[in-house]
Amino acid sequence: MSAEAPVTAASRARTVTIEVNGRPVSVVEGVSLAAALVGDRTWTFRRNPVSEEPRGPFCGMGVCLECEVMVDGRPGVRACLTPVRPGMSVRTAGAGEGS
Amino acid sequence: MSLPEERDVVIVGGGPAGLAAARRLAAAGLSVTVVDEQPELGGQYFRRPAPEVARVWGDHRPEGRRLIDAVRAAGVECRTGHLVWGVDDDGRTLLVSDPAERPVRLRGRYLIVATGAYERPFPFPGWQLPGVTTPGFAQHLAAADHTPVGERVVLAGSGPFLLPVACSLLALGVTVAGIAEAGRPYRPSLRALGAVRHPARLRELAGYAARLARARVPIWQDTVVVRADGRDRVTSVTLAAASAPARPVRTVAVDALCVGYGFRPQADLARMLGCAVRTDPATGDATPVLTPSGRSSRADVYVIGEAAGIGGAPTAAVRGLSAALDILGREGHRPRAGELRGLAADGRRLERFKSLTDALYPTPADLARLLRPTLPDTATLCRCEAITAGEVRRTAGTAAGDVNATKAWTRAGMGPCQGRECGFAVSAVARTSSDVFPSRLPVRPVAVATLLEMAGEGGPA
Repeated sequence: MSAEAPVTAASRARTVTIEVNGRPVSVVEGVSLAAALVGDRTWTFRRNPVSEEPRGPFCGMGVCLECEVMVDGRPGVRACLTPVRPGMSVRTAGAGEGS
Repeated sequence: MSLPEERDVVIVGGGPAGLAAARRLAAAGLSVTVVDEQPELGGQYFRRPAPEVARVWGDHRPEGRRLIDAVRAAGVECRTGHLVWGVDDDGRTLLVSDPAERPVRLRGRYLIVATGAYERPFPFPGWQLPGVTTPGFAQHLAAADHTPVGERVVLAGSGPFLLPVACSLLALGVTVAGIAEAGRPYRPSLRALGAVRHPARLRELAGYAARLARARVPIWQDTVVVRADGRDRVTSVTLAAASAPARPVRTVAVDALCVGYGFRPQADLARMLGCAVRTDPATGDATPVLTPSGRSSRADVYVIGEAAGIGGAPTAAVRGLSAALDILGREGHRPRAGELRGLAADGRRLERFKSLTDALYPTPADLARLLRPTLPDTATLCRCEAITAGEVRRTAGTAAGDVNATKAWTRAGMGPCQGRECGFAVSAVARTSSDVFPSRLPVRPVAVATLLEMAGEGGPA
């Protein structure tokens, strides 16, 4: 890990814009969608179908399926395994959170 | 659907084990395909940073980049973003979906299962709250995406992995409020770590410990999480002595909580392929029955790396090479001079190291015994199906502790994660006697236990 101060380095990182629940969000190019959402302080990715409780990413390696969100109209996309792409449109079950 | 594509060897999983095997086999001229679910090779250990993250913040494991480059240069066909989801009726053809979710069928004269491991969580009230994650998730966010999991974080569980995760968080400027370790692996007594002769990986562990001590991160030993609270995101965690879970000793404000009790082999594909599996007496985990070179009960199927039993990345690489050499031997190739002997020596050295570190931490059987009483009936046990520990306990009582019957009746462990997150806990709760998780006595040789110095170490006060 570089010793460089995160803020200085971050200003050099190329970013792309994605849309989260209709809101534009600037994220570092190529990071996982889970990281992009967490970095944007969005933690409710979905609701449990049985209990309706809010759920967020848990395992980060594609096993738990708690990070499933809707991407470009496709449901059930595991955010932890999906790199961000410019212009991708994301819907979480916690719409409105983080803004 | 098109005809299956046939290769000499198909390897499922592109982590340290799968990559080591692939490189060696391809170097000998065999046609090799590596299939991996992740968008890039490397597995969890070498998890590749996003290119932009690597450009700006650097690569946390550049040796992973070099290995992946070598594998590609050797002519290995690499299919990333490909999910192996089943096995065809012939028991040989893998059913795969590609990144666009189109079906692909892959067949190898030899199949190598290198599917790695997943983390071993144990539930507590509130573990399903957003902001509660595995330590592995925090590590991936930090290393691959340069994103902190939170601003103020508690790590909990057991095992050496908690230490490097804490260090990764510190490097991002995160406040690590403390590490709760269920066992008592760390002794405060010894100094001069650098002067002690010990294996490189213990030195690595000691390095993490020193870094944590400098940052004054408290390590609470013999301590477990008894609850997490918050509405839409975790806001606090409550800890107690493992021996007295009903008497909480501290509540810590956090915006993320990362809990994990080590790793479990991911052997589902081996089972699907019909490989014989047994319950590992030391861990209670389903583990494939293998020869020393990783050959399973099916002569054409090998299981290597963490899927063959938890051992760490260097062990995974040795297992990958051993399997590759076994296959090459069967194909009439001669090993390079000294190759087999060197590999065997590496394997023995790593095995010694593993037994040393294993002895420091509670075994999975110990953990099952330790954690079972910490889980109240009201807690969600199966997070997919939202089933409480009480439901599982009542049903297990009726089912005389039969784990499969308990699963079927409660649906615990039958949701989308297929029991990967709650399976260990369902077994621990459903089975009441210790004979199912036969344990060995936790040996704690002083010479090793004292290697790690922990300033600021203390039990729950």
